[in-house]
Amino acid sequence: MHSFWKRFARNRQALFGLAILGCILIMAATAHLFFPTDPFSLAGQSMSPPGQNGFLLGSDSLGRDVAAGIAHGAKTSLLIGLVATLVAVLIGVIMGALAGYYGGIVDDLLMRTTEMFQTIPSFVFAILLVAIMKPSIESIVIAIAVVSWPAVARLVRGEFLSLRNREFVQACHTIGMSDVRIMLGEILPNCLSPIIVIGSLMVATAILIESGLAFLGLGDPNIMSWGFQVGAGRTLLRSAWWVCTFPGIAILLTVLAINLVGEGLNDALNPRLRERS
Amino acid sequence: MRHLCKFALAAVAMSAALASGAAMAQKAGGNLVFIVQPEPPSLAGYLSTSGPIGLVAPKIYEGLFDYDNDLKIAPALAESYDVSDDGKTVTFKLQQGVTWHDGEPFTSADVEFTVMEVLKKVHPRGPNSFREVTSIDTPDEYTAVFNLAKAAPYMLSALSAYESPMVPKHLLEGQDPRNAELGNNPVGTGPFKFVEWKKGQYIRLEKNENYWKEGLPYLDRIVGRFIPDASTRTAAMESGEVMYGAFGAIPNIDAVRLRDTDGFSVTTEGYATINPMALIEFDTTEPPFDNPALRKAISYALDRQFLIDNIWFGYGKPATSALSSTFAGPGLYKDPMPNYVPTADIEEAIKLLDEAGITPDENGVRAKAVLDLIPYGEDWRRAGEYMKQALVPIGIELELRYEDVPTWLKRVYHNYDFAMNVNYFYQLADPVLGVHRHYGTDQIRQGTHFVNSTRYPNPKLDELLVAGAQEPDAAKRGEIYGEIQSILAEDMPVLNLFEMEFLTVYNDKLKGIDVSGLGAYGSFAEAWIDD
Repeated sequence: MHSFWKRFARNRQALFGLAILGCILIMAATAHLFFPTDPFSLAGQSMSPPGQNGFLLGSDSLGRDVAAGIAHGAKTSLLIGLVATLVAVLIGVIMGALAGYYGGIVDDLLMRTTEMFQTIPSFVFAILLVAIMKPSIESIVIAIAVVSWPAVARLVRGEFLSLRNREFVQACHTIGMSDVRIMLGEILPNCLSPIIVIGSLMVATAILIESGLAFLGLGDPNIMSWGFQVGAGRTLLRSAWWVCTFPGIAILLTVLAINLVGEGLNDALNPRLRERS
Repeated sequence: MRHLCKFALAAVAMSAALASGAAMAQKAGGNLVFIVQPEPPSLAGYLSTSGPIGLVAPKIYEGLFDYDNDLKIAPALAESYDVSDDGKTVTFKLQQGVTWHDGEPFTSADVEFTVMEVLKKVHPRGPNSFREVTSIDTPDEYTAVFNLAKAAPYMLSALSAYESPMVPKHLLEGQDPRNAELGNNPVGTGPFKFVEWKKGQYIRLEKNENYWKEGLPYLDRIVGRFIPDASTRTAAMESGEVMYGAFGAIPNIDAVRLRDTDGFSVTTEGYATINPMALIEFDTTEPPFDNPALRKAISYALDRQFLIDNIWFGYGKPATSALSSTFAGPGLYKDPMPNYVPTADIEEAIKLLDEAGITPDENGVRAKAVLDLIPYGEDWRRAGEYMKQALVPIGIELELRYEDVPTWLKRVYHNYDFAMNVNYFYQLADPVLGVHRHYGTDQIRQGTHFVNSTRYPNPKLDELLVAGAQEPDAAKRGEIYGEIQSILAEDMPVLNLFEMEFLTVYNDKLKGIDVSGLGAYGSFAEAWIDD
């Protein structure tokens, strides 16, 4: 653990990313303390510039507090990012592991299915899924997971393919271990590093997809999110720049931070890069 | 009752308009490029009331009447008309010497064919507008006599080029009008002739040199351009590439900016025959909204002026009744009704709920419901978000639902699977045409869009609606509609929010576009460019 942290900390940008991510997490966790009311509530004078009428970051066309929206939106964005990624990783690992471990017909079947999903542009596919299901937080999570898992599946399949003929796996076979136990207990821990790295980067992508959907008006209309704020404010850009600028910066910083942390994890976990720098 | 005299007034108004026009010295010639958005499916105004068709087709086709900005009748293809005392015979005298764009003469046979064979059969609103017409006699080429089963005064409000265009019998007879070639290759009597339609780009019309109105039209050419993106439309207007955009083609926020810019004007005129009303429909058959007290409480709790000011940038008028205040012209609108307030009155709303025994639970919630929002753009979402907040103080908890158009239409008008639905309706030029469809039990037509989805049953009201449709006497008709409005203000199956004002943005060089109450759906015969 100590050496992992040392390797991670060697990457300054990763530390910077981690610091930003920490701030965003704190902001999300304390949103209800600083902004106890519903972020949709009509808090005062509409279209107030930042710093006026008691609005730190201004208010939008209905007089909603942009700062409250960003704080509460952080919760939505992070939650959707994490849950969608977990679901995607879970599906991807199962599909990839089965395909890589058993090979043959199972591999063909699962990989052709994966390719079918990969041929559809992911954002368009996500729009389609949300439009078919009712726009709600569940359907958005499902849509993001459905478009994200193929990448994980291919990665895990590759790892399983290369590991399944190693000696330690053959040894497991010899002592009569069950397939499930070999897959979960022996092979999976050995390919955890790339999964963690791809997973962390997927959180960023998931946040971007959610923002994109909300921007296009396909977000859950009952839940505050950054994409919603940008989408709602874009028509006001020429008269009230602050409504979509600040949530946009929030998205930018979060995605940047997650990407930096992901890079750092990659450096720290990838044995082939250990001797780098 | 004789109506011939009315045209004397109209003629005076016309000549006054022409006189003031003469002082401005119209210039003939020039091209007008205007925004048509979205691209129309066809140019068959006799088949569809779709908005973009209305922007183009009335320049090619004409109706029997035109209407001024106060909804008063102005002559068009009918030079005069006469209603018999019992209201059951309406005689139209047609203009002489009118020809179709292909050179054939326009006669009363065309009128008979259009109404009986086309509008009554395939037009969406025609079967309602001409419901009572049993036959049309054509004693000579320039006289058409409509024989009605019952008096139908509202019919005279539905004779514009947009609502009931006259079509050439010789090009449609013996064909199914729905598939006829005329739909994409229109031939009318209007001031402009159809020339070219470049799909995805523009429709081009040229001046009709043989137009029957002397000296008109002024313009040489009209081009309707399709520009799908709203900010591109604004940019095209600002650069002078297009000169006219109606029905919110330029978004309100940009319109407000252009209004304050030199060289551009914004007007809300020209929508009198459309009369759009923003409203909420309730499912009155199931809890919680089967209780009128709850519906009225919502009417008190919503700040109509806030919606207008903050979402529609000041364009609109708080609703005060089931009828739009524009019906004050024909004497049908009754003065402010109870239960309609321009700004929120939370105390009154809570008092109503308490009196009705709708009490809050331990969380302060009196009722919960899903609010469906009309999926016609961001403004409606903002309105929904506002309503959700505005009803919190009176203990009504809303969940918002925003779906795609077909799903939403199916939910509300087919499955009746809704509780509360934000929507807007065109009240049109007469309540019979636009308002009756909301309330009559004969208008509970499952699967038909934009009719009585609330399924509010009231036999007394049904009787009044029938009486209102048939009463030829204006004063008595006003009384009937007064009573209708009182009942609806008390029961409120539909809660009217505000009278919407669509915006037309135009370049100041463009003149003479404000002469018809039809606005953008008008003929543009008198439009000219001053450069």
